[in-house]
Amino acid sequence: MKSEQKRLIEVTDGVAIPSRKDVGLFTAWRVSFIGAITIIAALIVLKPDPYWRIFTFLPDGVFITFQVTVEAILLALVIGLFTGLGRISKNPIINGIASVYVEVIRGIPLLVQLFYIYFALGRLVNVPAMASAVIAMAVCYGAYMGEIFRAGIESIPDGQMEAARSLGMTHAQAMRHVILPQAFKTILPPIGNEFVALLKDSSLVSILAVSDLLRRGREFASESFTYFETYTMVALVYLVITLFLSKLISIMEERLGVNQ
Amino acid sequence: MSTSEETALVRVENVSKYFDSLKALDNVSINVHNQERMVVLGPSGSGKSTLLRSINQLETIDGGRIIVDGIDITDHRTDINKVREEIGMVFQSFNVFPHRTVLDNINLAQTVVRKRSKKESTEISRELLDKVGILDKENVYPTKLSGGQQQRVAIARALAMKPKLMLFDEPTSALDPEMIGEVLDVMKNLALDGMTMIVVTHEMGFAREVADRVVFMDYGAIIEEGTPEHFFHNPTMERTKIFLNQIL
Repeated sequence: MKSEQKRLIEVTDGVAIPSRKDVGLFTAWRVSFIGAITIIAALIVLKPDPYWRIFTFLPDGVFITFQVTVEAILLALVIGLFTGLGRISKNPIINGIASVYVEVIRGIPLLVQLFYIYFALGRLVNVPAMASAVIAMAVCYGAYMGEIFRAGIESIPDGQMEAARSLGMTHAQAMRHVILPQAFKTILPPIGNEFVALLKDSSLVSILAVSDLLRRGREFASESFTYFETYTMVALVYLVITLFLSKLISIMEERLGVNQ
Repeated sequence: MSTSEETALVRVENVSKYFDSLKALDNVSINVHNQERMVVLGPSGSGKSTLLRSINQLETIDGGRIIVDGIDITDHRTDINKVREEIGMVFQSFNVFPHRTVLDNINLAQTVVRKRSKKESTEISRELLDKVGILDKENVYPTKLSGGQQQRVAIARALAMKPKLMLFDEPTSALDPEMIGEVLDVMKNLALDGMTMIVVTHEMGFAREVADRVVFMDYGAIIEEGTPEHFFHNPTMERTKIFLNQIL
């Protein structure tokens, strides 16, 4: 019974989440993280123009990147939960809708989806670029999230549902009180992973006139003609953020005892 | 139809069940009366667990009727959740909820299904934990308990609903030998309290001591039934004799 807790969902995307075996001074994570910060600091000190100017220009974009990522992931979690429940539903219509959604979304590149939702929504209602960016990211990631929820729910032994139902609980009550709280532990690592992946993919929204980190960089570069310097800084800032987040997620997982 | 059939708590009428082409239950009929203790024996794959699981509709049947406490559970208009509230079930694999403490395991369905207050639920839970002998473990998570203790939590969890009927599906088969006794003792006490019980088991000692009636199943059908006295000492059917020779 105790060994049932296993990582059923493989990490396939995003920055590698550091494993606990990774001890010692020179872990890949430490080298990358400290290296990136050191290079940023060195560039700013040694060549303040343009690096310091770039560095002070970017924070507004970092804020927008975070805003898009957090809003999209929250919406994607809701979509993912219902998609996951739909995928395991015995009702052929609900199951069909959820399955088609997952298949269609997974078969279309995110960039194409972004364009499509932006212009399709634009034909019907006047949606700000930011909102349509968030919706597009959420619709896309909701499909992947749905598969994570499905796998998480299916990882809980059938006996748990049977025990809950035998006590008179409805299917929904059993899901809410028995299955989902247990599935949560299994799906936390891949969700953390999706968060980091979404943050990186959010750079695509820069084409929709959303001033995220990448777009701020482009704005600066095209005015000052410092393309190489600006994109060097943009890449380093993304790297520091994703490395920091993946570390934070792995610490959170350990606190919650996901790997036990 | 005799009056005893009409007053039976559980009426299984000509029930059939298929798993693909395999016939798991073959035209099974049996009645269980109030306060009766029925033990179902048989080799693995004989359909005894399937019969038990049909009674609270964890398995849906393909033919016949099952009536529990006057309600036809095979009628699609029946709210099966309401019927299940009255039927406790204990599983071979315990199926305690690992994310909840022992006390919360027993409280959950009381508050969610029976709509009892937290306070009332806890009182009932503590009383039952005392009865099954693990009151000192109320704040422990089930994974820290032995198999025998987990199964006693599962029994208390089912009893907390105040069921009219208890189903036991090989409750001791997954236990280490030294823990079987503690679970059987709880079940014996339950029988003494007058609980109606249907028990699928391989524990012959329990069948002899506790059962009012022993039912022997094979190939999805009831081969023979009778008192333990009759069943263990004067079985009439050849299949029963072979089975008893193999296990005794």
